[in-house]
Amino acid sequence: MNYATSRLLLLVSVTWLVTTQFAQCDDQELLDVISRAGPQGAGSFAARAARDELAQRNVEFLPLLLAAMNTSNPIAANWYRTIYQEIVTRGLSTGETHWPIAFLKQYVGDTKRNGKPRRLVLSLIDRLEPDFRNRWLPSRLTDPEFRSEAVALAINAGDQALTDKNTEMAKAQFQKAFQYARDRSLVTQSAERLRSIGETADVIRHLGLVTDWWLTGPFDAPEKTGFALTFEPENGVNLNAEYLGQNNATFGWSRYRTTDALGQLNLVDALTKADEAVAYAWTEITVEHGQKAQLRCSADDCCLVWLNEKIVSPHEQWLNGTRFDRFADTVTLVAGRNTILVKVCQGPQHRNPEVFNNWSVQVRLCDDEGRGISFRNALPAIPTK
Amino acid sequence: MNKQSSNLCCRRHSLLTIIVCLVSPCFAENWPGWRGPARNGVTDDSGVPTTWSATENVRWKVILPGAGISNPVVWQDRIIVTASAGQDQNELHVICFDRRTGKKQWHQQLWGTSPTLFYPQSGMASPTPATDGKHVFAFFGTGDVFCFDMDGGLLWQRALADEYGQFQNRFAASSSPLLFEDKLILQCDHYGDSYLIAMNQHSGANLWKSERPEAWHSWSSPQIVAAKHQYELVLSGSTKLDAYDPDSGDRLWTVRGLAQECIPTPVFGQGLLYAVSGPNGDHYAVRPGGRGDVTESHVEWKHNRGTSFVPSAIIIGNRYYLADDKGLARCWEIPSGKILWRKRFRGKHTASPISADGKLFFVNQQGSTLVLDATASEYVELARNEVNEEVLSSPAISDGCFFLRTSKHLFCIGNSAEQPDRPN
Repeated sequence: MNYATSRLLLLVSVTWLVTTQFAQCDDQELLDVISRAGPQGAGSFAARAARDELAQRNVEFLPLLLAAMNTSNPIAANWYRTIYQEIVTRGLSTGETHWPIAFLKQYVGDTKRNGKPRRLVLSLIDRLEPDFRNRWLPSRLTDPEFRSEAVALAINAGDQALTDKNTEMAKAQFQKAFQYARDRSLVTQSAERLRSIGETADVIRHLGLVTDWWLTGPFDAPEKTGFALTFEPENGVNLNAEYLGQNNATFGWSRYRTTDALGQLNLVDALTKADEAVAYAWTEITVEHGQKAQLRCSADDCCLVWLNEKIVSPHEQWLNGTRFDRFADTVTLVAGRNTILVKVCQGPQHRNPEVFNNWSVQVRLCDDEGRGISFRNALPAIPTK
Repeated sequence: MNKQSSNLCCRRHSLLTIIVCLVSPCFAENWPGWRGPARNGVTDDSGVPTTWSATENVRWKVILPGAGISNPVVWQDRIIVTASAGQDQNELHVICFDRRTGKKQWHQQLWGTSPTLFYPQSGMASPTPATDGKHVFAFFGTGDVFCFDMDGGLLWQRALADEYGQFQNRFAASSSPLLFEDKLILQCDHYGDSYLIAMNQHSGANLWKSERPEAWHSWSSPQIVAAKHQYELVLSGSTKLDAYDPDSGDRLWTVRGLAQECIPTPVFGQGLLYAVSGPNGDHYAVRPGGRGDVTESHVEWKHNRGTSFVPSAIIIGNRYYLADDKGLARCWEIPSGKILWRKRFRGKHTASPISADGKLFFVNQQGSTLVLDATASEYVELARNEVNEEVLSSPAISDGCFFLRTSKHLFCIGNSAEQPDRPN
C-alpha cells in the first residue's frame, strides 16, 4: 500500500469513527465537542462534524445553541455561529412559525450573557417582530452591549424635541444621554447639545480626566533611549529641584493646567518643542475611599506611569499618537492622597515631514465602563524656591 | 548548494511546473491571492479590456457588505472578497460570488476576536485572502485566521490575538497571507510581540513561529523568492529587509536601511529583489542568497527618489515601475537603475499596479484607472477609465476580466461582446 492510499484509508476511517460516534451523541454532547475546539486549530475536525450534524436541527434548538454561545472561547463561538446562521437562514426562508420568541426576547435582554450573540438575536427579532427594537432599545441605557445605541436614541429624541420647540423635553433627553453616555463621542455630543440650550456639562469630570499637573523637562534622550533611561524625577519627586537637561538647559518644575476639552496635555505648549527627549508630569489626587479603578492613558510617543511610586502602566510604543484610551490598566487607589507620575517620551522627528511632531499625554481614572471616578485634584501650593 | 538542497529545489520547481501545466490548459489564469498568481501584480491572462466606465464594459457589479481594501481573489468561477462591519468592525465577512454573473454563492459571517484601531475605509479587511483551489484562507486585522472549503464550509480557525496577545496596531493588520507548499505564512508585525508564523494549511497547527522582538508595526506582506540554493521568505519592516528559511523560520539574512513602517511588498525581477519603503525612503535592489547582515555585500542598487508609503512596485521584463502615494510615477530600467520616464499621474494612489496582456493598470483613489502600454520603454498612455467611486483596493485580473473593488461595490469589467447574464 502506498503512502497516499494509506492516508486516504486513515481519513476514511477517522471520518467513519467520528460520524458513527456522533450518531449516538445527544445535542449537548455535540455542543460540548465544539466547545473543546481551541488554539492551533485543535479539535477542528470533530467540531466540523458536530457542526454539520447540529446545523440540521430546527429553530427549537436555538435555546440550547444560544446557551452554548455564551462562551469565552472565541473559536467555539464562531463554530456555533455558523450553526446559528444556517438554522436561522433556513427558518426564515421556509416561513418557520415555531420560533422561540419569548426565549429570544429574554436572551437579548439578559446583560449577563455575551454581547455578540445577543446582538445576533436582536437582528433575528427584527425580522420576526419588526417594531420590537424601537420599543425596547431606548430603555437599554445601562446595558453594556446596547448602551451606546440607547444614548444615541436619547440624543435623537432631544434633537426632535428641539425641532418641535419643546426645550424642556430636549433638556431632559440630553441630560439623560449625558448621564448614561460612556463612549467619548457620545459624551461630547450630548454635552454640546446641553451647552447649546444653555445648560452645563462637565466632560472632564464625567470622564475622570486629570488636568492639573506639575511638569519638568526636556531631558536629553537620544534616538529612542528615553523609555529605558532613568532621570532624577523617577528617584523621587522634589518640586524644588532643578535639573540639567537637553542642550545643557537647567529647569525645575512648573505648574500647568490643561484647558483642552478632553484633558490632553500638550507638552510643546506647556514646556517646549523637543525631539529625542523625556518630560515628566506629576500630580496628586484625593479619593474618599480606597477602590479599584482603570487608569487609561495615551501619549505621543510613549508613556510610563507610576501610581503612588509604583509602576502601573508601562507602554513603550513609538509613533502611535495620543489616542483616547489607548491603554487601560487596572489600579488600586488608596483612600486619601494618591500621587501620579507620568514619563512622556518623545522620539526622533518622523521621517515624513508631513507628520506633525506632537508631544502630549492624556490620563484619566474611570470605572470599567468608562465613567470617571470621583476624585479631587489636590496639588500642593507652588513651593517657595 | 549541496546536492540535497539542489534536489529539493528541483523537485519543487518540477512540482510547480506540473501544477501550472495541469491548470493552464483547461482554464484562464487564476488570481489566487495578494497581487495575483506570482504575487507581483503580473498575470499571463489576456483579453482584458482597455477602456470602460461606470457603465461601459461593466459585466456586473455587486454591493459589498462592509469596509475593506483587500483585493478580490479569483479561482475559476469563484470570486472571493472579505469585508468587515459593525461595532469596532468585528463583524467579519467572507463572500463568494459567481465570476460570470456576480450572483452570491456563499457568505460566511464570523466574529473578530480582538479588534484594534483601524482605518475607516479598510476596517479589519485589509489583508487579501488566499486560495489554492481547495481552500480559502482569510486573515483579518483582528488577528483571526479562517480556513474554508471552496463551498464556504469552515474547516479550521485561529484566533492569534487570543493565543499570542492582542494586535496593537493603529490601522489594523494588513499583511496578506502567503501560501507556500503546505504552509500558510503570516507576517504579524505590530506594537506588541511581533512574529512570523507558518501554519499547516490542512489543520491550522503551527509548523513554526519565529519571534521578531525588534519589529514594530508594519503592513507589508511576505514574499517568496527562489534564491540560488533555496527558497527565501522575505519580509519588509522595522527599518530592514529580512529573509527567512520558509521550512524552518530561521533568519537567513538582513539588509538594513528601510523605513520604520513598511507597507509595499517586495518584488522580484532580473535576479534581484526590489524593496521600497517611504515616503522619503529608498529603493533597494538586493541579491538574494546571503547570510547574516548583507547590507554592504548584497545591495546591488539603491535609489532615493519616488518612494511610496503604500503602493507596491511592479516589474515587467527589465522595467521597474512605481507610482508613489501622490501619483508621481517613475519607470526605471533594471538592473542599471536608469530612469526611463517620470510622470505625474492624476490623484492620490493607494492601490498597487497590475499588468496583463501588455498593459499596465494604475488605479487612483478617485477610481480612475490609467492604462499604459507595458511593452514600450517610453511612456505610452492607452486610456483613462473612470468609475466615479473611491478605490483603495488593488484590482485583480482573471479570464479576461478586470475586478475592481471600490468602497461600495465589486465591479467585474470585461469586453461587452462577451456579456453574460446579470446577477439576480
